[in-house]
Amino acid sequence: MDIFLQQLANGLTIGSMFALVALGYTMVYGVMRLINFAHGDMVAASAFVGLTIYTQVMGQATSLGAVIVIFLLAALTMAVVGVILERVAYRPLREAPRLSAVVSALGASLVIQNGIMLIWGPRMRIFPELVPQVYWDLGGVVISLIQVIILALSLILMVTLYLFVEKTRMGAAIRASSIDQDAARLMGINVNNVIALIFIIGSSLGAVGGLFIGLYYRGITFNMGWQYGLYAFIAAILGGIGNIPGAMLGGMLLGLFNAFIAGYVSSTWADAFTFILLILILIVRPTGILGERVAEKV
Amino acid sequence: MKELQKFAYPIFFAVMAVLPHLLNDRWQAVAITFLIFSVVALSQDIILGKSGMFNMGQALFFGMGAYTTAILNNLFGWPIMATIPLAILIPAIFGVLLAGPIVHLRGDYLLVVTIGFNIVFVQVLQNNLGGVTGGPNGIFGLDSLSAFGLNLMSQISVYYFAFVVLLLTLWIMHNLEKSKPGRALHYLREDQLAAESIGINTRIYKIFAFGLGAGIAGLAGTVYATQYSAVSPEAFEFIQSVLFFSIVLVGGSSVPGVLLGVFVMFVLPEIFREFATWRFFIFGFAMIAAMILRPRGIVPATFGKIPKFLIKESSHGA
Repeated sequence: MDIFLQQLANGLTIGSMFALVALGYTMVYGVMRLINFAHGDMVAASAFVGLTIYTQVMGQATSLGAVIVIFLLAALTMAVVGVILERVAYRPLREAPRLSAVVSALGASLVIQNGIMLIWGPRMRIFPELVPQVYWDLGGVVISLIQVIILALSLILMVTLYLFVEKTRMGAAIRASSIDQDAARLMGINVNNVIALIFIIGSSLGAVGGLFIGLYYRGITFNMGWQYGLYAFIAAILGGIGNIPGAMLGGMLLGLFNAFIAGYVSSTWADAFTFILLILILIVRPTGILGERVAEKV
Repeated sequence: MKELQKFAYPIFFAVMAVLPHLLNDRWQAVAITFLIFSVVALSQDIILGKSGMFNMGQALFFGMGAYTTAILNNLFGWPIMATIPLAILIPAIFGVLLAGPIVHLRGDYLLVVTIGFNIVFVQVLQNNLGGVTGGPNGIFGLDSLSAFGLNLMSQISVYYFAFVVLLLTLWIMHNLEKSKPGRALHYLREDQLAAESIGINTRIYKIFAFGLGAGIAGLAGTVYATQYSAVSPEAFEFIQSVLFFSIVLVGGSSVPGVLLGVFVMFVLPEIFREFATWRFFIFGFAMIAAMILRPRGIVPATFGKIPKFLIKESSHGA
């Protein structure tokens, strides 16, 4: 039972990080029908940007104010990178064949990943200990302060995003653009601005996810983006890609699944089991758990 | 273009035929790599370019062929040449079995599932399933090539082995284009619904394309295992699949385009070794630029012998 509760806590923590990153994939896919392969690398870049802000700008301060500034600056940086990415690599290809945009996304991913390597070097870096190492032992289940912060902050961000998309005018514009771009344009919605907004939101949520990954795992490498990005993308698909609550649900489920596989089976097989789960779900229910069944447009 | 090709192909083949005698050991190895990866990229082209299925797991079939050869040779003592039939058949059968349940998936989903197959495959190799894959280190110490009682251990004979495999692949692709399955694949790539409505069993042909592409990649795997007389899991990581995927699309899924892509991706870095750390950074920009400037690839594929004025430029893609 102890293992179960412990892995439940770990799974929820990992899951909320997956969910944060998955939101970036699912929002971009929802409007542009494009897998933004560079998103995972942006997440990795955010951890490195956070590291540099901590050492160079904040003078290694770990007060609450300093941590908030680090998070805000990293999110802002990645939002700017996200908008530039969309402008340079994706916008010129909106009318091109779908696969061209996929290749462009892969190219952008290589540029960002190797950009990190050229700037920060190929070796693993250690993310600073921004949050004090506090642990609570709840009858055999150990929970750290970092886990509580990650879970709480992720939930706050996700609920805020959900309310933003469902209750505001800008949110309505995002939903309209994801249903039909041309019709949205006819209704007076500036789809270019909506897409830029999506990249700002997605990239800053991904940036927070990247900082969480740094805080939780401590070791950050230039090529970790592919791995976390792939997991987050699977989470988005599990929930039904293009569906915002689906990405949150998919992220949590995937995190729990991973933690239980690592706890009960073996961590060396975690990737294989994750993909087998994904393949089975796609065979049985190709549009994900919350995805609507829609016929492909002809 | 057609007139150019009439001369370009014989010249290309003639140059490739004498090439190993002009090169030293290091460049011979690079030339062999070029030939092997060309075959893999062309096999990927059958699935991705010719049939329009978003397959991002071609390294899986490549690796399966290489491992089949390595295991049969190293553990069971089969000569390299004798492993070829199984190194083609096993990946082809897996291609059919894996494709069966997934070919109906929409483009992006298919892409993710094939990435998944690739990652599961590498993890199986690393965890040494069944105790035959050698774990993370792989298998090393394969026999050298031999045929008709002759021991062909020089690098030049590996080169000609690879060259023959490339010629065979080109011949298959040439015939495919003129055959019924080739036309069926072309139609379903252009418009699946229209293909179905004129009576093409798209499901069967999609699975056929996967099987064919997987078999050819498996044969390339045999050559690869022979060249290094070793195999290890990291040579078949899915990042390799990403490279093959990109080569086909940047090249434009035509034979000259794919060969050019392989040359740029695997030979140029050997020439500009001082830029090794910048390699993928530059390639990333090149991929974006190539797609923006030529969304259909550097050398777009043409199909059949339809006169140019009859082909309507369509803006929507696969």
